[in-house]
Amino acid sequence: MAFREYKIGCWMFGISLSASMFVTIFLPGLDISSVSSTELALEKQLTYGRESAFSYEDPFLQGKGKPIKVVLTKDPMNGSAMDETNAYVFEAGTPFPAGLNHTNILGEDVKALSESKGRIAEADENGTVFLVKIDDASDTPYIENATATRGWTPAKVLSASDHTIMAGSGKTMFVREGCWWCHTLLPEQTQDWQSFGRPPMLGDFNGESPTTFGSDRKAPDLLHVGARNSSREWMMLHFFNPRLVQVHSIMPRYDYLWGDKDAQGNVIDLEAWDVGYQKYVSGETPYPPEVPDYADNTEIRYLIDFVLNLK
Amino acid sequence: MFKYLMAKESDIPQGTAAIFFGISSIAWFIIGTGIGSFNAAKLAFPDWYHGLYWLQFGHMRQVHVHAVIFGWIAMAFAASMMYITPALGNTKLWSEKLGVWNCLLYNIGLALALALLWAGITSGREYSDHVWPIDLYIAFVMVIPWSLNVWMTIINRRTQGIYTSNWFFAASMFMLIIVFLIGNLPEFFHLTGLNEAYMTWWFAHNVLGLLITPVAAAITYYIVPKITGNPLYSHRVGHLHFWSIVVFYSTPAAHHLMSSPLPEWLKSFASVEGVLILVPAIAYVCNILLTMQGKWSMFVNNVEIKFTITGVLLAIPLNMQGGFQQTRAINWYIHGTGWIVAHAHLALLGFSTFAEAAAVYYGLQVLLRRKLYSISLANFHFWTLLIGFSLYWTSMTIAGLIQGAAKIYEVPYVDVVIAEHPYMIVRWLGGTMVFLGNIVWLWNMYMTALHGDVVPAGRQPAEMAYVR
Amino acid sequence: MSWRFDRPLFTLADDDMNKDTQHVWEHESLGGIAENNNPLPRPIITLLLLTYFTAMAITFPLYGQRPNGEIYADYVSLMSSTEVQKILSNKNISHEQADKQAMALIEESLAQFDSPYTFQRIQHPIGMDKLRALAPEIIELQTKGVDLREYNVIGHHLVLANFEGNLKANGEPERLQPWWDKGYTIAVWWFIVFCFAVIIVVKRLPHFSWRPDHSIAH
Repeated sequence: MAFREYKIGCWMFGISLSASMFVTIFLPGLDISSVSSTELALEKQLTYGRESAFSYEDPFLQGKGKPIKVVLTKDPMNGSAMDETNAYVFEAGTPFPAGLNHTNILGEDVKALSESKGRIAEADENGTVFLVKIDDASDTPYIENATATRGWTPAKVLSASDHTIMAGSGKTMFVREGCWWCHTLLPEQTQDWQSFGRPPMLGDFNGESPTTFGSDRKAPDLLHVGARNSSREWMMLHFFNPRLVQVHSIMPRYDYLWGDKDAQGNVIDLEAWDVGYQKYVSGETPYPPEVPDYADNTEIRYLIDFVLNLK
Repeated sequence: MFKYLMAKESDIPQGTAAIFFGISSIAWFIIGTGIGSFNAAKLAFPDWYHGLYWLQFGHMRQVHVHAVIFGWIAMAFAASMMYITPALGNTKLWSEKLGVWNCLLYNIGLALALALLWAGITSGREYSDHVWPIDLYIAFVMVIPWSLNVWMTIINRRTQGIYTSNWFFAASMFMLIIVFLIGNLPEFFHLTGLNEAYMTWWFAHNVLGLLITPVAAAITYYIVPKITGNPLYSHRVGHLHFWSIVVFYSTPAAHHLMSSPLPEWLKSFASVEGVLILVPAIAYVCNILLTMQGKWSMFVNNVEIKFTITGVLLAIPLNMQGGFQQTRAINWYIHGTGWIVAHAHLALLGFSTFAEAAAVYYGLQVLLRRKLYSISLANFHFWTLLIGFSLYWTSMTIAGLIQGAAKIYEVPYVDVVIAEHPYMIVRWLGGTMVFLGNIVWLWNMYMTALHGDVVPAGRQPAEMAYVR
Repeated sequence: MSWRFDRPLFTLADDDMNKDTQHVWEHESLGGIAENNNPLPRPIITLLLLTYFTAMAITFPLYGQRPNGEIYADYVSLMSSTEVQKILSNKNISHEQADKQAMALIEESLAQFDSPYTFQRIQHPIGMDKLRALAPEIIELQTKGVDLREYNVIGHHLVLANFEGNLKANGEPERLQPWWDKGYTIAVWWFIVFCFAVIIVVKRLPHFSWRPDHSIAH
């Protein structure tokens, strides 16, 4: 009985831990990595960009370096009318999402189509516009590099846009402000579909990071919230002070995301607003004070764009 | 502390590192539970602290989690390991100087990590919220030097065998490093999608299962025989506990994502393994309780045993919940509800905190060679912790059942919020009790260091009568 | 400070106890888990075995798994039968009553035939509302000629299941859970290996003693 006895223990320990990791990391990794991106996964990647949390392009989580989702109803090249199309604009310097950078994210068929029909290999980070298309013959989604196939440059697409959706920057706000501590993004596969909509499927997440499923639900699931409530005004009131639209809400106020000035350039005085609000709560005034319109490119705009984009 | 940083190894008194870790852990416990109590107040009365934008719930929630896990629990573990490991090896700590530096850099790193989380600079992954540079700091500056001290002390021991506690300490530190580095691979190498989601919960599950549960158990393996004077009931059962932790507790990570689209075989496997966690749980609880044979009076009249055995008893409902709530049959009802929050607090504030508090109480008395300043205050601390925790657990379990019911009856969510309101208030009261109890504890330990009765060498603090 | 390193801790065991321990060590079987060295009390061993069987039983895939489309295919075909339609279009009773009666009739007629899905139908009862929502999707998939067993009912939709493992002749993954891939096969194997590992390790590790043994170099 000497120390050599512990060698057997150490070996057994190493073997069991390795075997455990083989079964719980390597095997599931093979399974998960063999799944192709769905159309939803392609849309999410192109909307949210490379990374929504801490990253080189956005170390302070301000929503920098994210693509812009653009809704087009006229052709950016000649201005003629066309069916409503979502284009994903990656301006110069915006890093591409995982599907375009890493192998194995798109899935074999999707990758082959994206390369042959979508010409994604020609995309460069000097500014590219992408579309999500579905191949009719094989019913497979793929990414199209519209800059290569149609000559759509970011500048042309942005100037032809009906409106832009800053959902990529918005997801960063969602992560930074900790929305996901209460609002899950994962309707459960059991009962939740009744109130929160269809649960996500395998392949819906390819290339998304972080997935922010959330685990501790203290508030409604948000995966399909844009389909339930598409009112920008409601969202604005609700983010400014949730108790304006839902008196029993326990959500914090996000009025500080409005920044210093509102859309008209007036200084926003949150304390003064709260004084007026307290009068409204105590019944001294019949109405709460006006909620200021948010200026463009404020953090609240990003966040509302993100939430409304969750269809 | 600072005078020891540059001192020669031989000039640093034995136990210095453990004392610094112990005091730091209590301080972080107060900070962590204080933030927890504050967060709970936010959930009950969202506009109460209106205007304190720098204390937004979404920013403070993870600060609470990491202050208690990395500050309180992990530092209490470090304190315990740094006096228990040498004691069980009949030797001294491998390097007190490394331990003191470790403690300093641990506190600095933790403060920095929490400040970043507070600012919202996060990886967006629950339990591995820290951004990857902080992950590397935690692994290489906070954890590896600590592990090195533990391993080297065990290797340089002056006993022939290695006692149960020390297997757990050595193995858990090893597993912690592996889990930390592998669990954060998605951040280091930008893994995405379901791989990222699954690895997040692989990390979260294993950091609990392979660090917190076994080390808390290992502490009780030391404290109970040491204080009662009974030998451990069975070393073979200890083996059963150890090996079933390694084999069963390291595998069920996927049961945290039972309602997500992971491969079905993985969920089934995780579910079976999840129930099999009861094997180490039963072996452990029986081993400790059988060790208490003949000394049960100490459960009443010895404060360290009171803490330890309460922790062990709380491990019974903890494991019964843990084993069964993750099966599909139950998980669909309670997943994502307050039930899980209650369960997490049963593990961390119930089982593990009580065990660690005993180790810190005992360790500081032994290392400072001073008897506890006031047993009454320690009892007061015990009861605030136990009652506060019970209020918390009960209210959150009920709130979780309400949420679960609302899930299947398609109730508008705001009705759940209204129904939960009284329980949110109770949760806050419970959390606040724990917080206040901890302030009393810190004061008690401070007074112990200054004015506690001196315990002569070779005597147990509990054997001594108060001379005051 | 506190620990006296010049005065080692003393063992609680005397020579007789040590001799006895050595005898145990040399003669025990099964690593000594169940004998001598303070074995677990019998009720606790029973509890451990019970845990194992419970783990297998309650996580068996019969329970808690989502229903597939095939188990409702017969409901859909019966729903369009004249008898059921007659009840559903009966103006003299309320909608709920009509739904209830229609479903009762469907279930009654299904009970007449043997079906591999009887158990699953009890596990996943369906109401008329949900059946109405599912029917068009079931019919559409049937006309496509796909295997309905590959589709799970999630909410009021049929969704291709996550199962993988076997490949069909055309190289596509079969979305049925293969018998060998239910997670159980791994769990059983894992448990057996665990038992072997514990016995080997326990048998090979030294017994515990506080007393330093300077006769052997570590």
